[in-house]
Amino acid sequence: MTRFRGLNYRRPAYLLMLMNLLGFGLLFVKNGYNLNMLYVGAGLLGLFIFIYSIIVLCNMGDKFIVLMACMLITIGVLLLCRLNLEFGIKQIIWVAVGGVVFFASYLIYYHIRFWHKLWMFYGILGTGLFLATLILGTTVNGSRNWITFGGFSFQPSEITKILFIMLLACYYSGAWEKPLGRITPKWMTLLITYLFIGFLVLQRDWGTILVLFAIYLFMIYVYEKTYGFLLMNLGAASLVAVLGYRFLYHIQVRVSTWMDPWADISNKGYQITQSLFAIASGNYFGRGLGNGSPGYIPEVHSDFIFAAVCEEMGVFGGAAIIILFFLIAYRCFKIAITATEPYDKAVCLGLTLMFAIQTFIIVGGVIKMIPLTGITLPFVSYGGTSIVVNFISLGIIQAISAKEERRGGGKGGK
Amino acid sequence: MANKKKPAEQPEMIKKGYSANRRMIHVLVAVCLMFLSLVTYLLYFNMFEAREVAANPYNKRQWEDERFVKRGNIYDRDGVLLAETVVDGDNRTRRYPKGNLYSHVIGYYSRVYGKSQLEMAYDKELLGHGDITINFNELRSGYDLNLTIDHDLQQYAYSQLSGRNGAIVALEPATGKVLCMVSYPDFSPNAKTLEQNWSAIVEREDSPLLARATQGLYAPGSTYKIATAAAAYESGRMAETFQDTGVFEQDGMKVANYGEKAYGELGLKRGFELSSNFVFCTLGYEMGAQKVLKKAEDFGINQGFSFDIATSKSRIEYKKMVDADSALVSIGQGQLLMTPLHVAMMGASVANKGKMMQPYLVNSITTASGVTLATTRPSMAYQPMNQECALYLDELMRGVVANGTGTGARISGITVAGKTGTAENETNKDHAWFVGYAPAEDPKIAVAVLLEYDGGAGGSNAAPIARRVMQKYLQ
Repeated sequence: MTRFRGLNYRRPAYLLMLMNLLGFGLLFVKNGYNLNMLYVGAGLLGLFIFIYSIIVLCNMGDKFIVLMACMLITIGVLLLCRLNLEFGIKQIIWVAVGGVVFFASYLIYYHIRFWHKLWMFYGILGTGLFLATLILGTTVNGSRNWITFGGFSFQPSEITKILFIMLLACYYSGAWEKPLGRITPKWMTLLITYLFIGFLVLQRDWGTILVLFAIYLFMIYVYEKTYGFLLMNLGAASLVAVLGYRFLYHIQVRVSTWMDPWADISNKGYQITQSLFAIASGNYFGRGLGNGSPGYIPEVHSDFIFAAVCEEMGVFGGAAIIILFFLIAYRCFKIAITATEPYDKAVCLGLTLMFAIQTFIIVGGVIKMIPLTGITLPFVSYGGTSIVVNFISLGIIQAISAKEERRGGGKGGK
Repeated sequence: MANKKKPAEQPEMIKKGYSANRRMIHVLVAVCLMFLSLVTYLLYFNMFEAREVAANPYNKRQWEDERFVKRGNIYDRDGVLLAETVVDGDNRTRRYPKGNLYSHVIGYYSRVYGKSQLEMAYDKELLGHGDITINFNELRSGYDLNLTIDHDLQQYAYSQLSGRNGAIVALEPATGKVLCMVSYPDFSPNAKTLEQNWSAIVEREDSPLLARATQGLYAPGSTYKIATAAAAYESGRMAETFQDTGVFEQDGMKVANYGEKAYGELGLKRGFELSSNFVFCTLGYEMGAQKVLKKAEDFGINQGFSFDIATSKSRIEYKKMVDADSALVSIGQGQLLMTPLHVAMMGASVANKGKMMQPYLVNSITTASGVTLATTRPSMAYQPMNQECALYLDELMRGVVANGTGTGARISGITVAGKTGTAENETNKDHAWFVGYAPAEDPKIAVAVLLEYDGGAGGSNAAPIARRVMQKYLQ
């Protein structure tokens, strides 16, 4: 690992700056010299420089993950500004909040050392959030997963994802050994997983179900020595999937529009076909930022933002985003593998999987590789909760990486 | 659990066959494959599916450029206006002054049903893509298309069909320019009428949307004896005589001459002039499946050719072709199907001394201010025969019109060469065919006439139409 020490971490930072300057410069010219574009760009760039300087100056572990996340945010904000300046400005405010939350979660995770003892707290808080959503929640696009108070709305399921990962880590790090009554922790995690999934079914939030369950399966694969438990869960999942397909209209519609969206273009297939039109019109290099018509795509600022990227920046632009996510996942895996504290290792693995799976599900859905389930594309999609939660996750990963680096004197995943 | 303290513990774990780190690497590989599959699918989609998806009429992007562009006009070769766009405020109407006449050449242009034929194939040019001038909010003009079509001839050929289902294609043999191309039944390409009557048009049994000249596939009948004669010439069988009994019998298959006439003793030339099925079945049978198929491919059958608008590929469809099949193919029956355009090209290739030219419809593309951007250069598609063979076939085809089945195509003062065809099909009404060219000494026009399910003979029904079209053009 030491050979990465010499890796120049400034060059990607320059690239990020260049992307910002060019992108917002272009929007400035394209929108009739609208100075607001420049302010947004300058604000974003300032934020990045601020966050990045602190990471470098305080030697906070891995220097690339945040840079790559910032690149994704840049692409997202560029598109949001181009779609609707208001979205862009709001997103920047969220990024600023996210930056603060990033350092806060970094410090909290770094200094508190009893995370692995709190499994019951995670479970209860998670369940509480679900119950709150069910009682107070509002339905957006068929999924009842928003809570609104005082003109401010957020998605509790985003937060539950982190709680769920921390809960799994409690058991799989070996810290949680005491059975509760007669139920061993292994079955307890299983119960809680299925409980959470049950709540999500009630909310019709299929995307999050897939993310949680895939994280759970991968965790089992990594930590259970034998495959029996994994196969049992896979069997149960396929049974539930088959039953769901037989009896739930929602799932049938999703599968049939995936197989042939052209049969009902103006209705059920509308979203996905509009997304495919956008991608197809972009070709390899895209129609150019500001030249496309992503406005035709429903939900383009959140779930479908990837289609807009493909239209305006081309398939190569889309591939670049996928590769950026892969690089983030790769660096995070390295941190997980080199981490020495079992709890850190498990948490880092879970969070990494969360990014990777979420990306796979939404990008795969938007390009019609797999059936579409609406979730946000981390760092790119518009949405306060999503940005903040992703920054919390990054903060935790950053803290784990910093711990290792300081402990091992450079032996850690740098 | 695993890896609790020092990496030194690891070798022991690997021995046991389990290590959390190793499993994590497996997961990393899985994630890597997941991302790789996304990129692969994205590229696959873009390479193989995107074109078709983007052209879907529901893709509103196709109509965006229209707001800033006045779609280009389409003219015939003499500048007669065939299609134009009328701008009225924000409204754009595509107008076709010649009505139904060009519905299978220029096609339609509808926001609901998309575009077809030239409107589709030359969409980018008509919208003036590639123009680098950028001016916002100002109406830009697309490029104009100048066709090879002679509007007078097109109109005349249309009147000659006089409501019969079929197609007429005329080519300039030396270049492959399409002089006229008529298919009937047709429809009104006017977007409003089309949208109102769409379901009626689609459901009509005689399928008016089918461009018969380019996309209709028909048994070519005896017109295909041109190709068989070329193959026979190459096999050196010009001097042979045949004892025509009126019925060809081989391998349990019987093929009679038209009208079941027995011609007695005759050579290849006379057999061609009288269109003897006996002679040509015998030739096809004796040359064998391979040779017959090879010759068909020399003429572009099963191969196809590129054209400005979509065409069906003429084809011979056998899982395994035997010699009895080649006897049928040699008289243009069996599993052989050709488009009228391709039959016209076959005739034109004899007229052009064995060179089959690439047919084309768009002669040049010009800007609204009259600057020519591109001119199509004639090119050869196939060379199905050498010059000597072409001269021999020319002689045979002149004979057909002079004193054979094609006397109906005779024009006084002009030597006409041609070949008739009466093609059997799934109904009891034969297709009537004629393909020919004139003047034979220096061919200026090659014509193919198809009357679909006509019931009559090619010589009596199709040949006179071809004659009048050629006469009109040569006036």
